[in-house]
Amino acid sequence: MAQKATGRVLLILAVLLASIAAYVWSGHERVKMDVSGATTPGLKDDLKNGIKLGLDLKGGIHLVLQVQTADAFKIESDEAASRLAEQNKIQELKIGAITPGTPGEFRIAVGPTTDLDKLQETVKKQIPDWEYRREGATWVFQLTSGARKALAEEAVKQAVETIRNRVDQFGVSEPVIAQEGADRIIVQLPGVDDPKRVKDIIKSTAFLELKLVEAGPSTDKTALLAATAGAVPPDAEVVEGRSNEDDPSSPKAYYLVSKAAVVTGRDIKNARPSQDQMNRPAVSFSLKAVGAEKFGNFTGTSIGKRLAIVLDGKVQSAPEIKDRISDSGIINGSFTPERANDLALTLRSGALPAGLVYLEERTVGPSLGLDSIKKGITAALFGALLVFVTMVVYYKRSGFNAVLALLLNAVILLGVLAQFGATLTLPGIAGFILTIGMAVDSNVLIFERIREELREGKSAKTAIENGFSKAFLTIVDTHVTTVVSALFLFQFGTGPVKGFAVTLIVGLCASMFTAVYVSKTIFMLEYGRRERAESVSI
Amino acid sequence: MELFRNTHIDFRRYKWICIGISWALIVAGFISIAAHHGLRLGIDFSGGTQIVLKFAQRPDPGKIEGILKPLGLGLEGVQRYDLPEKNEVLIKVKQQAHEGRDITQEILAALSQALGGTVGKLDANQKGHDSIAMAIAPADPDNMAGKPGDEAKQHYAVVGDAIVAYRSQIGLFRSPADFDAIPDVSPAVKAWLKQNATLGPFTMLSADNVGPQVGKDLRSKAMWAIILSTLAMLAYIAIRFDIKFGVGAIVAIIHDTLITIGLLSIFDREITLVVVAAVLTLVGYSMNDTVVVYDRIRENMRSNRRDPLARIINDSINQTLSRTVMSSGLTFLVVVALFFLGGEVLNTFALTLLIGIIVGTYSSIYVAAPIVVIWNEWQEKRRPASVAVKAAPAKGPAGKPRSAGKTGRR
Repeated sequence: MAQKATGRVLLILAVLLASIAAYVWSGHERVKMDVSGATTPGLKDDLKNGIKLGLDLKGGIHLVLQVQTADAFKIESDEAASRLAEQNKIQELKIGAITPGTPGEFRIAVGPTTDLDKLQETVKKQIPDWEYRREGATWVFQLTSGARKALAEEAVKQAVETIRNRVDQFGVSEPVIAQEGADRIIVQLPGVDDPKRVKDIIKSTAFLELKLVEAGPSTDKTALLAATAGAVPPDAEVVEGRSNEDDPSSPKAYYLVSKAAVVTGRDIKNARPSQDQMNRPAVSFSLKAVGAEKFGNFTGTSIGKRLAIVLDGKVQSAPEIKDRISDSGIINGSFTPERANDLALTLRSGALPAGLVYLEERTVGPSLGLDSIKKGITAALFGALLVFVTMVVYYKRSGFNAVLALLLNAVILLGVLAQFGATLTLPGIAGFILTIGMAVDSNVLIFERIREELREGKSAKTAIENGFSKAFLTIVDTHVTTVVSALFLFQFGTGPVKGFAVTLIVGLCASMFTAVYVSKTIFMLEYGRRERAESVSI
Repeated sequence: MELFRNTHIDFRRYKWICIGISWALIVAGFISIAAHHGLRLGIDFSGGTQIVLKFAQRPDPGKIEGILKPLGLGLEGVQRYDLPEKNEVLIKVKQQAHEGRDITQEILAALSQALGGTVGKLDANQKGHDSIAMAIAPADPDNMAGKPGDEAKQHYAVVGDAIVAYRSQIGLFRSPADFDAIPDVSPAVKAWLKQNATLGPFTMLSADNVGPQVGKDLRSKAMWAIILSTLAMLAYIAIRFDIKFGVGAIVAIIHDTLITIGLLSIFDREITLVVVAAVLTLVGYSMNDTVVVYDRIRENMRSNRRDPLARIINDSINQTLSRTVMSSGLTFLVVVALFFLGGEVLNTFALTLLIGIIVGTYSSIYVAAPIVVIWNEWQEKRRPASVAVKAAPAKGPAGKPRSAGKTGRR
């Protein structure tokens, strides 16, 4: 028996050490990743940070966004329509007006002179993702459902990437950016305490275009179009701006700019906050090789003309091109330092493929999180102390064994949670409490059984043996029932419910081990050596 | 020490009183829910906005309401939060018809304007550490300009962190003198703060905004998770014991859930996701208790085949009574500590568990076990030849055969 016990002790020690190592290691990694830490972290910091705390405990921001996939459909419609218009010119299809419909739909007018065969062939070749039906003299084009699905998926994927790029620049440790369902994105930023700023940065589409100014600025639309006989030329468009670039409250002004952009945000290699010649906050950017070449050629031939810097469909500024510029430029126009900083950040991270809408936002300020965790820990420690004292008073020596098993249970739970990078939230603490409750219960079950056996006059050793074996099935039943239900909660629950389930599942597995295996080993060590143990301290 | 030694309480004697109490509580709960026009759903499920602010001085909810009403947000109410000396208020706004409006920012902006924040200056009570760092960095009070690379940026990031960490510790800055006490920050930065920062009248503790779509989703997902996990437990117990045991256990947890939710309504608490987690905990707890009693019943049924089931059950409850009281009592201690020391956030959670542990323990004895007896009696009545059936339930309990031998009944 003593030999058997040695093997058991070794296994228990191994589990204990592995749990502690997993916890400390995870804490160490976490501290290392935290960028703001100025001092070299020690073991104390590692211990403090072993478990990733949820936003409700640590403070931070939780956002659920919805990608407006319709935006992507609209872009696709515009592109298909313009491609068709182009072919119309080249191949002389003689189709009439092209009118946009709902996102993912447009109509073309077909006349008696339209070359229908050629049109059909062109559609097949040029815009294969579109199907059409004839409604008299109009053909209604719609994106195929397959193309819609692919586009939506692509838009969401790209949005996740872009948001990740942006978030990475805040220096948030352990952000969560994940797609949920078809078009939703969950963003969790622990420790971030500026909800407004973060929301603006994430949501800003940051779509930058540099376009040639054909006419304007003018505060009056008709005056703007006077030179072009009152109509917007097909290759140009009207964009809004301010009459005084440096004053955001000055009256609106309109610019007539070329429809095609010289370069867009996609050509940007880097952007950083800087200052313009008058020492006002600005953003300077540099271009990738391809964009730089295009930009160089363009500015070289357009000296003296004005270049509109259009951000999210609004003219920021329209400086005169004084010289050939190839690979860099500056954007100014009444920025605060913070705004310049954030604009540079969004430009670096690229444009969003579609708009975002916030479905859910939760901000927990740093002080509330601090308060909850302080109080939660005090309460848990105090509760644990009460349990320990009661166990020792009621079950004496055996109660002390149970306390050891419970402590080990808690250590294993923390180690496993740390190892799998699980997050501890308030509902997680609930799971923890239920676990401890059930672990205590397992011990109580065993002890009561041992007492019953002793009352029947069994010897100490037999009583312990029988007590454990009889309580065993009950313990398995209670644990498996709860684990089975927790598995379903994990599978179908959301955030907090899931956190509860994870803690519970891990905790109960640990509890099975500690209550049945560890407790028994301690009893074996205590009563196994003496062949005829007279009494059990229970 | 031993409190319950060889008890022989006839639990059946109190059967009617207990059934009466159970029904009274369930009915009272339903009446309360009806009187409150349904359950008070927290914003997790109902959608809407909820902001908790901490003020420097005792806030006047009426005045705040007066400021926010004209915004036309659908203000539901402004009330005190936590203890009065904490100067905290909870602002609730109804769910908006459409997504997209930033209610939180509208409220914060309106309040800081009306309550005398200085526009354009850095509000040291409202801004986060990043914004504070970014505001200080250009002024460069610590003369970091000459340092290489990102060192200046890093330095002011640490300064911003220190300022917000201290603010979190003291709640909020009440006067510029509070800046002096910020640890790990140079006098130059403190001087800069005194000169350039304003102290807004409040700081935000938390803000939650749940849109219509998410509220609906959370509701249905929580429901499904609970229903499926309950069915899973039913299936497991039906396999391990018998279908009537399974049904008894499920009726017991439905009983517990109804009473707990009813009492939460009587105490006028909100049902939030955290409360759902607490209800799940109590379901797990109650199930645990029930399974322990069932296990003993099964064991006694094997060893005492001649006894009527009702007696076996009563004996089993007596034999497990000591452990039931011990286990429940110990868990109860932990939850009591949580209730009194856990703070406002954990309070409803702890209350739910307090109710749940009492009701869950009681239901294993007075709901789960009696249902098995009732079902069994009904089964026997349907069978004309009742002599043979009396000894044991018609179907032997499923499960692995055990070699437990003699059990502890005398």
